[in-house]
Amino acid sequence: MYKIIPLRKIWLSFSAVLVTLSIIAIAVWGLNFGLDFTGGSLLELKIHNQEVDAVQIKEALAPLKLSSLVVQPTENDTVLLRFQNSTEDIHKEVVGVLESSYGINDNNVEGEDLGSQASIEELRFDAVGPSIGEELKSKSINAIILVLIIIVIYISLVFKKVSKPVASWKYGIIAIIALFHDIVITLGVFAVLGEFMNLEINTPFVAAILTVLGYSVNDTIVVFDRIRENLPKQLDNFAKTVNRSVNQTVTRSINTSTTTLLVLLSILFLGGNSIKEFILALAIGALIGTYSSIFLASPLLVVWNDFVNKKIKD
Amino acid sequence: MKKITWNRLLKPSAKGKRRWIFVLVLVFAVLSFLITGGAYYNQAASWTKEVTNNTINLPHVQENPFRLGLDLQGGTHLVYQADVSEVPEGGRGEALSGVRDVIERRVNVFGVSEPLVQVNRNASGDYRLIVELAGVTDIDEATEMIGDTPLLEFKQRPEDFVPGEIQSSEIEIQPETSSSATSTATTTTTTTTTIDLSEEDINSPIASIQDQATNYEDWENTKLSGKHLKRSVVQFNPTDNSPEVSLEFNKEGSDLFGQITEENIGSPIAIFLDGYIISAPRVNEKISGGQAVISGNFDLEEAKTLTQRLNAGALPVPINLLSQKTVGASLGAQSINTSLQAGILGLILVALFLIIYYRIPGLLAVLSLAIYGLTVLAIFKAMSIILALVMVTIIIGLMIYTFHDLKVFDSILSILLITIGIFLFIYALKPVTLTLSGIAGFILSIGMAVDANILIFERFKEELKSGKSLAQSIDEGFSRAWPSIRDGNISTIFICLVLMFFGTGSVQGFGTTLFIGISVSMFSAIVITRTFMLMVMSKYLNKKPWLMGISNKYSK
Repeated sequence: MYKIIPLRKIWLSFSAVLVTLSIIAIAVWGLNFGLDFTGGSLLELKIHNQEVDAVQIKEALAPLKLSSLVVQPTENDTVLLRFQNSTEDIHKEVVGVLESSYGINDNNVEGEDLGSQASIEELRFDAVGPSIGEELKSKSINAIILVLIIIVIYISLVFKKVSKPVASWKYGIIAIIALFHDIVITLGVFAVLGEFMNLEINTPFVAAILTVLGYSVNDTIVVFDRIRENLPKQLDNFAKTVNRSVNQTVTRSINTSTTTLLVLLSILFLGGNSIKEFILALAIGALIGTYSSIFLASPLLVVWNDFVNKKIKD
Repeated sequence: MKKITWNRLLKPSAKGKRRWIFVLVLVFAVLSFLITGGAYYNQAASWTKEVTNNTINLPHVQENPFRLGLDLQGGTHLVYQADVSEVPEGGRGEALSGVRDVIERRVNVFGVSEPLVQVNRNASGDYRLIVELAGVTDIDEATEMIGDTPLLEFKQRPEDFVPGEIQSSEIEIQPETSSSATSTATTTTTTTTTIDLSEEDINSPIASIQDQATNYEDWENTKLSGKHLKRSVVQFNPTDNSPEVSLEFNKEGSDLFGQITEENIGSPIAIFLDGYIISAPRVNEKISGGQAVISGNFDLEEAKTLTQRLNAGALPVPINLLSQKTVGASLGAQSINTSLQAGILGLILVALFLIIYYRIPGLLAVLSLAIYGLTVLAIFKAMSIILALVMVTIIIGLMIYTFHDLKVFDSILSILLITIGIFLFIYALKPVTLTLSGIAGFILSIGMAVDANILIFERFKEELKSGKSLAQSIDEGFSRAWPSIRDGNISTIFICLVLMFFGTGSVQGFGTTLFIGISVSMFSAIVITRTFMLMVMSKYLNKKPWLMGISNKYSK
C-alpha cells in the first residue's frame, strides 16, 4: 500500500507551493486575454510582391489614430494588425490607407505583368465590440459559479448516507477546494505561457476550464465513493480507511488519466494549431485533476477530521 | 414442438435472455453504422452488385453529411445589436423575430447554405442578432448582404399632378384573393396600349431605379411604410406560370393600403427603397385584406430582385454591427484534418493500452467503444423520426433492463434516464453543428467512456482476485462500479446542461457534444460491455485468469 495519507504533509505542501506560485504568476503577469474578451480588431493581411515592414505599416496608419495598434509579422509571411477599434468603417479605412501607401490602385497599365504587382490580400478580419467581450467575461464567470454550486449540492446529497465521522457537506466543500486548486494552477500555467509564449485566452479556454471542473470532480468522486463504501465496514480508523480507499482506486485514476492524456497529447503534438491552446488547458487540467483527487482531496478529509477531533478533545 | 419453441422465445432462460440482448446490441450497432457510415455502405453495396453481376443487389441507404460549424468550413460570423427603443416593451420579441425572418430571407436570396440567424437577449435586456454564413469569407459582401436598415416607402401621385410622358405602367397590383386567371386576362388587355413605354423599365429594373430617382419629388408620401409590410415572396401565376410578387401587410398596413388603393384606382402607386423607386404598379381596384400581388411580365430574376428589395425594406428594427469574424476555409480544413488524424492515433494508442492491460475484457471494451463512437456520430447527424425513436428506445430500454438486472434502479436513475432520453431524441432528429470545441467535447467524452470501462474492470479484477467466479465477478464488478460512474457522470451532465443553456457559441457546442457523449458512454459501458462480457464467459476462461487481466496465480 502507498503511504498517501501518512505522508499527507508532503503532498499538501506541494499543492500549497503550486497554488502560491500560480497566484503570484497571475498577479504579476496577469492573464493574456484574447480578442474574444477584450474586444477590438484583428486583421491578417498578406502583402504580395512587396517587402513587409512593421514600422512602415505603423507609420502609414498613424493618421488614423488607432488605439493600441500592434503590428506583428508572422512566420507565414503575413502581417497581423491588432487595434482596439472595432467598427466596419475603421476597417475599410485601414485597408484603404495600406493600399494607397503600397501604391496599389486599380489603374493597372494595360499589358503589364500582374504577377509582379503589389497587392494586398485580406486573410482574416475579426472584430469584437467591447460590450460583447465584457458580456462573455461575466457570462463565463456566472456559468462557472453556477457549476460550482450545483456540484456542492449534488455531492452533499449523494454522500448523505455517510455523515460520520465527516459530515457530507464537507465532502462537497473539499471537492470544491480541489477544483479551485486545479483551476488556479491551470490559470497560473496560462499566465506564464501568456507572458513568455504569447498564448491567448479566448472562448474555447472557458470550455476547457469547465471541462477541467467536470474531470476533476469526477476523479474526486471516484475516490470519495470508495471511502463511502469502506467507512460502514469500520475495519480501521478514519485515516487508515481513507488511505486504503485511495490505494484501491489509484490504479484506476492513473489508467484513466493515462488514456485521456494519450488522446490529448497526440492532438497537442500532432494536431492542428487552432485548438492547441484548448487542448493544452485540458491536458494540464487532467493531470492536475488526477493529482488533486489522490493527493489533495483525500488528505484534506483526514486533516479536517483530525482538526475537528482535536477541538473536541480540547 | 411448436409450443416449446414459442415458450423458449417468450420465456427465455437466463442464457437465452443474454442472447436476445446480444442480438439487439448487434442490431443497434448495425443501425448506428448505417447512419454514420452510410456512404461506405453504399459503396460496398455497389461494389457487391458489380462483382456478383446483379445477383446480390443490396438496398442503398440515405447518406447524411455532418453539419460543420463555421470554424471548420470557413465563413463569416456577425453579431448585430438591435435598437428596440422605438418598439414598445411587449412587442420586442416579436419585432426581433420579424428582423430575423427578414435577414434570413435576404441571406437566402444569395444562396448561402444553411445560414444561421439567431436572436439572443442578454442579461441587460439588449437584443442581439447572431448571423453565421458558411462559405462566405468576404465580410464586405456579407455585411452588404444583410445591410443596414433600408427605408421602404409607399408613395402616391399628388392630386395636382400633371401627367407627363411616362406615367402608365403595365405592372399592376391586385388583391391576392382574386382569381389570378381573370385579372391576368384584364392586365393583358388594358395594358396593350402602353406596353411600348414601360417595356424598357421592366427589362432593366436596376437601371430604371437610377433613372427614375429624380422623380422622387413627384410623388407624395403616404402613411404606409416598410414597417407595415410583413413579407413579400415570389409566386407563380396559376394560369400561365409567370412569376409574380406577393405582398402581405400587417393589420394597420392592410387598412392603410386599402385606403390608398381606393384613392388611386387607375393610377400607379410607387414603392421607394432608400429614395429609389423599385416598382410603380398601377392600381385597378381597392385592395382590402392586406394581401396583394404585383404582376406584369417580369422574369424570375426580376421578381426575385423586387421581392428581395421589398423584404429589405420590411425590416422593422434598426440593427448595428457589433462584431464580425471570418474564418478562412483552408485554415479550418487543414486544422480539422491534422487534428482528426492525431485524434485517431490517440485512440489507437488507447485501444492498445486497454487490450495489453486488461486483455479479453480490454478487447471487448474496444469493441464496445467502437459501437459507442458510431452511435455518437449517428446522433450528430440528422435521422428520421422513426429511426431516432428506435435508437433512443433501444438505448433507454436496455439501460432500464440492465439496471434492474444489477438491482441498482432507483429514483435518481429514472430522472436521469428520462432526461437523457428526451435530449438524445431531440439531438437525434436534428443535426448537431460540429465545431472544433464540439469535437473536443466528443474526444473528452471518449475519455469518460474509457474511464467507465476502467472503473468496471478494476472492480472486476478485485472481485476475481478475492476468489469469486467469473459470473459473480462480472456482476459485482458492474454493480459496485456503478455508483462512482453515476455520480461522476451526473455531475458532468449538470455541467453540460449549464453550458448548453447559459453558454454562447462554441461553449454551447462543447456542452452539447459532451452531453451526448456522456449519455451514450453510460449505455456503452453498462449495457454493451456487460453484454459482451456475459457472452464470452465460459468454463474455459474461468480457468485462464491471465486472459481476464489478472495473474495466473489466482487460478482455481
